[in-house]
Amino acid sequence: MDVVSRNNVTVTGQTGAPVIMLAHGFGCDQNMWHLVVPVLAERFQVVLFDYVGSGRSDLTAWDQQRYGSLDGYATDVLEICSELELSDVVFVGHSVSAMVGVVAAAREPQRFGKLVMVAPSPCYIDDPRTDYVGGFSAADIDELLESLDSNYLGWAAAMAPVIMGNPDRPELGQELTNSFCATDPGMAAVFARTTFLSDSRSELASVRVPTLVLECAQDAIAPREVGAFVHAAVPGSRLVTLEATGHCPQLSAPQATAREISAFAGAAR
Amino acid sequence: MTDLHLTTQRTPAGSVLAVAGDLDHDSAGRFRGAVALIALQPGQLLTVDFGGLTFCDSSGITALIAARNQVHEQGADIVLTEVPAVTVRILRLLGLDQIFRIQPVPGADTDPVG
Amino acid sequence: MCGTTDGESDRADRSAHDKDQDQEPGREQDKDSDASGDDVHDAERAQFSALLEDSAEDLYDNAPCGYLSTLLDGRIAKVNTTLLDWLGHTRAELVGRKRFSDLLTVGGRLYHETHFAPLLAMQGQVSGIALELKAADGSRLPVLVTSVVKTGTDGQPLLIRTTVFDARDRRAYEQELLRARKEAERAQEVAEAERMRLHQVLAILQNSLLPPALPEVPGMEAAAYYHTASADQLGGDFYDLFALGDGRWGFFLGDVCGKGPEAAAVTSLIRYTLRAASLHAGDPAQALDTLNAALLERYTGNDPRYCTTIAGTLTPRGGDLHVTVASGGHPPALLLRADGTAHYLPTPGGMLVGIMPRPHFTPATTVLRPGDTMLLYTDGLTEARTADGPRYSEEALHAFAGTLAPAGAQQTVNAMTGLLESFGDGLDDDTALLALGIPAPDTHTGGAR
Repeated sequence: MDVVSRNNVTVTGQTGAPVIMLAHGFGCDQNMWHLVVPVLAERFQVVLFDYVGSGRSDLTAWDQQRYGSLDGYATDVLEICSELELSDVVFVGHSVSAMVGVVAAAREPQRFGKLVMVAPSPCYIDDPRTDYVGGFSAADIDELLESLDSNYLGWAAAMAPVIMGNPDRPELGQELTNSFCATDPGMAAVFARTTFLSDSRSELASVRVPTLVLECAQDAIAPREVGAFVHAAVPGSRLVTLEATGHCPQLSAPQATAREISAFAGAAR
Repeated sequence: MTDLHLTTQRTPAGSVLAVAGDLDHDSAGRFRGAVALIALQPGQLLTVDFGGLTFCDSSGITALIAARNQVHEQGADIVLTEVPAVTVRILRLLGLDQIFRIQPVPGADTDPVG
Repeated sequence: MCGTTDGESDRADRSAHDKDQDQEPGREQDKDSDASGDDVHDAERAQFSALLEDSAEDLYDNAPCGYLSTLLDGRIAKVNTTLLDWLGHTRAELVGRKRFSDLLTVGGRLYHETHFAPLLAMQGQVSGIALELKAADGSRLPVLVTSVVKTGTDGQPLLIRTTVFDARDRRAYEQELLRARKEAERAQEVAEAERMRLHQVLAILQNSLLPPALPEVPGMEAAAYYHTASADQLGGDFYDLFALGDGRWGFFLGDVCGKGPEAAAVTSLIRYTLRAASLHAGDPAQALDTLNAALLERYTGNDPRYCTTIAGTLTPRGGDLHVTVASGGHPPALLLRADGTAHYLPTPGGMLVGIMPRPHFTPATTVLRPGDTMLLYTDGLTEARTADGPRYSEEALHAFAGTLAPAGAQQTVNAMTGLLESFGDGLDDDTALLALGIPAPDTHTGGAR
């Protein structure tokens, strides 16, 4: 199958320049990067995509078995790299995608030059045995998964929000707002399960490329303890705390986010 | 595909059962049911009028044989009239022209191949 | 939609409130000095005003929906009593201390981060989002939320105003719909799995009713084909080729009346009876007599079962095969000769097997020479509806065979199979084919010209 159409791959920016690959996390699609792309595209070639099951990916390629583990998502990434013949990529992974990046880099190290982890979390569930703070209790995650199964939250088409047009911001276009991070609820549930039940803490030590950890000052999904943990576990990593609230700094503080990514990507090793 | 349509009429000599439509796997049961309801005295005759028959398969043949058995059990006889050429050919091929009295539609070509 | 208030416009509203409370200055005097007419009006007005929720404060606090105002970072700045009551919180617990997303369930927080907040930032308002709020006692309250960004006179965003509607009834209805849908989906899955299982069982069963493979007959090529009209039903056609022990071979092909398991059961009886009978019978007609007796004995008047069949023997003699056949009401065998001609082997007048006590089975003989092939078939081939409508006939089959001859056994079966496939949906009956031939002198088995 044609990987580019399967994963709705978009390539923009400067041809021939170093490649930045932006990977969305759970709950959204490549649209979440739309505020940082213009800045990055000035200096770099930018590759965006949707994992199978999200956004405008080809849903017929969905395989419950494959996308029930982070390896399956890493394979999407590696297949895109292979198709576009990429190497030395600066991989920017949001939330769980940061871990997908770690897995992908461990499998094919030659593809990746640097890693940027945006609001990452290797494990969302608290582990009292090791005093690890993930931010959620097991009961919290159970509740989340159960509620996704019952299709509430507006993931389901029946409850899709009525999104009004945006006369004040015509540059956004109707298309963007109408389809912003739309997702198939059944597949979202599987992605959620994979995201929130996975534990990649032990994989962090395997990272061999320069890594930037970008966290938000106030993030209810990936609290400060998690950022600190990741920074400590990834050898030689840099930690930057953005003065931003929420879990998606690329949306709530796009300028600062773009600046940090750009500076890190452009710097010599 | 034409639905089977059956009409029974009593005559001094016995009964006439007019058959129209497809006599096949799905409708053979109704044919059998209709015959079962016909009471005959010894020596009487059941005339099966196939003038409206459009199709007959092996289930239809089976139903016809069962009808013959039933009629003979009552001491009566059976005759097939207005039989379409195609059906006559099939009956000939199956050797049933040796056990049924058959009156084909006049003027039809009824020789089986071979 | 109810109006909303926040700290800014409180002052303005308060003065309006005061204004409503106070009478106009001149009024008092008038009231004192005037007679009845004005008294009545004032009394009515006072009553009317008392009924109206004319206090903006009251309107806000006790509205039928929840009101919430937050700063841009989500911190709660103002909240109405209705919402506090729903949540079981005090104002002090929330204002300035909690964020709106703190009131949401885990999933709600996620959705808020990835959808709600970005959309609100993009378009200034988001409406009708289904979320669940967490009450102080841990219970969950399904709600519909609408938020609007309030901007200042310079267009800069200042705060977020949110309205919260109780969606319990709607949520219950929705859950009922979803539950029903899930049940229907499950039932469908179960039905599908059952169907698959049935097909598998039928396939296994069907295979057991047919010879697993045709035997190798020296100097001869044999090929067969079997097609059931429906994957949901067992077929009623049968065939076989087997050694008679003294260098001769027996064969038969036929068609049981009816479809489904009852017909399939009869094919089993027929195969084994005919095989056994052929071993002992003097000629094929005698074997059919035995079969006839067996069927008559087994199936009685109310449930007659019969078959049509052609049975025969092959006797090798100096490179040729001498063929003797008997037909019980079956379509005639088709011969494709080495010289390119094709003709039927006539067996008219044979009777169905299993109906009459003393039936007649028409015998016939022929010789197969190198390059000749004999084809036996069931009437699924000649009864198929063609694309044009009328059924494919024996004449058409004869003509087709003429274009094919000379052809080896496998080649013949392949060509006939292709013909069957061209009927597509027109093939509504089971079909069996058995071809027996002697390879032409200068070719390998079944080779093409």
